[in-house]
Amino acid sequence: MRGLSRTKDPGKWAPWRALLAAGVLAAGLGIAACGGDDDGIGGGGSDDVSVAEAEGEPSGTLNVSNWPFYIDKRTVGEFEKETGVKVEYNEDVNDNSEFFGKVQPQLERGESGGRDIMVVTDWMAKKMYDLGYLQDFDKDALEPAFANLVPALESPSFDPDRNFSLPWQSGMTGLVVNTAEAPDVTSVNDLFDPQYKGRVEMLTEMRDTVPLVLKADGINPEDATEEDWTAAIDKIRDAAESGQIRKFTGNEYTKDLANGDAVAVIGWSGDAVQLQADNPDIQFVMPDEGCMLWSDNMVIPVGAPNPTAAYAWMNYAYEPQNQAQIANYNYYFTPVDGTREVLEEEGSDAADSELVFPDEEFTADCSTQDEPPGGPEAVADVEREFQSVITG
Amino acid sequence: MKGGASSSTRRRLVPYALLGPGLVWLLLFFVVPMYFMGEVALRSGTLETGFQFNWEFSNFSDALSRYDENFIRSFIYAGVSTVLALAIGYPLAYFIAFRGGRWKNALLFVVVAPFFTTYLIRTIGWTTILSDDSVVVDVAGSLGILDLFQTLGFTDTDNRLLATPVAVIAGITYNFLPFMILPLYASLERIDQSMIEAAKDLYSSARQAFLKVTLPLSAPGIVAGTLLTFIPAAGDYVNVIFLGSGNQSMVGNAIQSLYLNLRDYPTAAALSFMLMAVIFAIVVVYIRFAGSEALMGDEEEAT
Amino acid sequence: MSGAWKWLRRNAIAIYAAIAIAYMLVPIAVIGVFSFNDPAGKFNYTWQGLSFDSWADPFAVEGLNSAMVTSLQLAALSTVVSTILGTLVALALVRHQFLGRRAANLLIVIPMATPEVVIGAALLSLFVTYNFALGFTSLLIAHVMFSISFVVVVVRSRLIGFDRSLEEAARDLGANSFQTFRLVTLPLLTPGIIGASLLAFALSIDDFVISNFNAGQTETFPLWVFGASQRGIPVQVYVLATMLFAVTVFAMAFTVWQQRRAERMAAMAPEREDDPYATTAAMPPAPGAAGG
Repeated sequence: MRGLSRTKDPGKWAPWRALLAAGVLAAGLGIAACGGDDDGIGGGGSDDVSVAEAEGEPSGTLNVSNWPFYIDKRTVGEFEKETGVKVEYNEDVNDNSEFFGKVQPQLERGESGGRDIMVVTDWMAKKMYDLGYLQDFDKDALEPAFANLVPALESPSFDPDRNFSLPWQSGMTGLVVNTAEAPDVTSVNDLFDPQYKGRVEMLTEMRDTVPLVLKADGINPEDATEEDWTAAIDKIRDAAESGQIRKFTGNEYTKDLANGDAVAVIGWSGDAVQLQADNPDIQFVMPDEGCMLWSDNMVIPVGAPNPTAAYAWMNYAYEPQNQAQIANYNYYFTPVDGTREVLEEEGSDAADSELVFPDEEFTADCSTQDEPPGGPEAVADVEREFQSVITG
Repeated sequence: MKGGASSSTRRRLVPYALLGPGLVWLLLFFVVPMYFMGEVALRSGTLETGFQFNWEFSNFSDALSRYDENFIRSFIYAGVSTVLALAIGYPLAYFIAFRGGRWKNALLFVVVAPFFTTYLIRTIGWTTILSDDSVVVDVAGSLGILDLFQTLGFTDTDNRLLATPVAVIAGITYNFLPFMILPLYASLERIDQSMIEAAKDLYSSARQAFLKVTLPLSAPGIVAGTLLTFIPAAGDYVNVIFLGSGNQSMVGNAIQSLYLNLRDYPTAAALSFMLMAVIFAIVVVYIRFAGSEALMGDEEEAT
Repeated sequence: MSGAWKWLRRNAIAIYAAIAIAYMLVPIAVIGVFSFNDPAGKFNYTWQGLSFDSWADPFAVEGLNSAMVTSLQLAALSTVVSTILGTLVALALVRHQFLGRRAANLLIVIPMATPEVVIGAALLSLFVTYNFALGFTSLLIAHVMFSISFVVVVVRSRLIGFDRSLEEAARDLGANSFQTFRLVTLPLLTPGIIGASLLAFALSIDDFVISNFNAGQTETFPLWVFGASQRGIPVQVYVLATMLFAVTVFAMAFTVWQQRRAERMAAMAPEREDDPYATTAAMPPAPGAAGG
């Protein structure tokens, strides 16, 4: 290829051009800096959180952002018929962090992008609330819903008074195991057993993985210190670097379990049900030390155009009849009291599933506390530590 | 034709007119946003406490040193994938251009058609093909290929392909093949067959004709194809997620996690700029080596 | 034995190309096979049994259908716009010397080097700052933006070393600049333009990250599939993907078949003044020349 270039000077940047470019850049940045040093990026939650007031009868359009495949086909239509509210049901939440990334700029400015309800997991709901992106509920409007909320979910640590979040569906994070290949796995510590080297996986979700490792070492996440978290993360790091842990996944572990590439993973109860349908050996195993209990919550963002309709939707979903449809479709842990009876009447298998209706004993050791201790700086440090394990 | 002076002014304005729409689009929707990103890169703080503008140049050097391993991995994986893509793509492009006949466009479509199935589904297909007890891995294992990889240091296990650098590189190569083939094709197709025939008339063998005529004339395509493959591959992150593991993490993965999981926008922006800077440096060296004619076509103005 | 060896050598390229194409299509074959799967759960990961149910009802999943349509529309529009803009830019960069040429070259290359998450997020901030509604239009803007660079690079590699004498000949024969461009340059550029537009189309229809940030609540096919995969991937996804692939392949095969038919008919019938299929290449092409 040398032979092809003509004898022209391959091109040096004329020095004056480079200086000019640098000068323009500096000037621009200087102007930007003068424009104030906190123009609208972050800055913590506002002190006065607004309440989304309900006004009169529900009407107009309701805009919901939810996770995909989280609702059966009939509920939306039936709601529309019963209330006359038109529903725009969007399944554009596919990951808490990704969703946050894409709505953050709008929420920062007090806009919701048209959304009345968003469904996000506990920790993300808390984060959004602390940043001032959510509104408080008009509790009066939600009385019917709260009346049916199962006691276990009435007062979670991140929102003790249920001021801004109401569970849509709940789930458990524990072990999902191919019991034929790995019959002895009953605790998260078994994932560190060398006989399973290269065939175990953990979640990229720090708030699922690390508390479980803490629990397996006998530490209650509610009492854990920052040192405890760091020690647990180091333990995980060693396992990752040595190849004990095959990889950290979102829900891709489902593929690896189905394939046989993995035999035991930290995973979610709803997925286990789906996998079991095709391979009865794959089951959700409640770890000896207990699981993590979480919910995907309905929250109302700032700037929501139609909170009244939002409350109508929440109340509707909390009627056992309607919830039964949803629970039957999802096989996740349902937050609505009275659903089991309805499902029993219908003769559905879901009524007997301990994953959909776990009894007290089953979830006795499960925790909901998943935040690292300390203020925002400390939490950021821990998050950074964990991310360095995941992304090398 | 109009008078001399104004026609030459018109002529001088032509390039700007041609450039206009495209460059304006890029200026508005790339340069301006990136400018604001640059501003974010010089901030510090957290989302909760607010990002302050501090002329925080240390973000850039921190990013480079904290993620040095990711950088090295990114460029190795991207480099190897580019070479492989060239090795696979050049003969295919050659075939389509010279022997394709009336099937040319159809074959081009076949090259690009896999993209219509979305990345996720394609990759699930690959994870099925490459899974631990698949035919491919079995055969590779019994042929000793897996052991070979381990000895050569490509992977650190000898019983699988997934979650190793081999699978990641295979994935990158596969997904960027069309980026290599299409420019190669565009450049090869233009080659005038009569020149090759002339070479043969002058007693050169088929191999010599190729080396002395076809290959040099296709240089612009090679340069374009390698750039189109290497540059985006260096910033890739999806292949690691599905085919690799944390030990193969590339710069793209680090940026993803900084932006979405850690919500550390300044470091994410700084790391992105560092990536762009390093890629740019590599490209400049590459162009100097390949001859800027092959890339930019320093032609005399024709008319 | 040497006869077989000779045959092998002469057709080495063809064999190699066939293997390469097979390699590119391997995952597609897997997708095709799995579209006939019959899983009991929501995941379509392991072979459970043969079933035509999904093929009988390929449009059963509503969200998927509208996402697919949106993706196709978006890709088509984005391809047209970016190909036009990119080709013009390539022409300017290769054929003209002007102030700022190097800077323009740089500007073209840099977007390709920028990680998608950063482009996506930066663009989102821009839209939000100026209160620009997020949806199909914002997606279109984003897709055109990242496609232009690729179009430029592909078209440029075709333009370099382009034989200008043909254009000069046209000009000598009295054609003005525009006619020369339309009747000489453009047709000769066509393979490059086709290659570039195919690339732009593929980029658009497969894009996830940038689309995720800038789509608002609009769903494109990749967005929908990635989102759905959190809970399960309906077999219809595989069916639609296979269909899309098959349709494009058949469409191309059809055009080739049409071409052949036209040529055969032209070769048989005597040329008439008004015969739309008349070609000047009524004689068989010279051996070794690139056909088509």
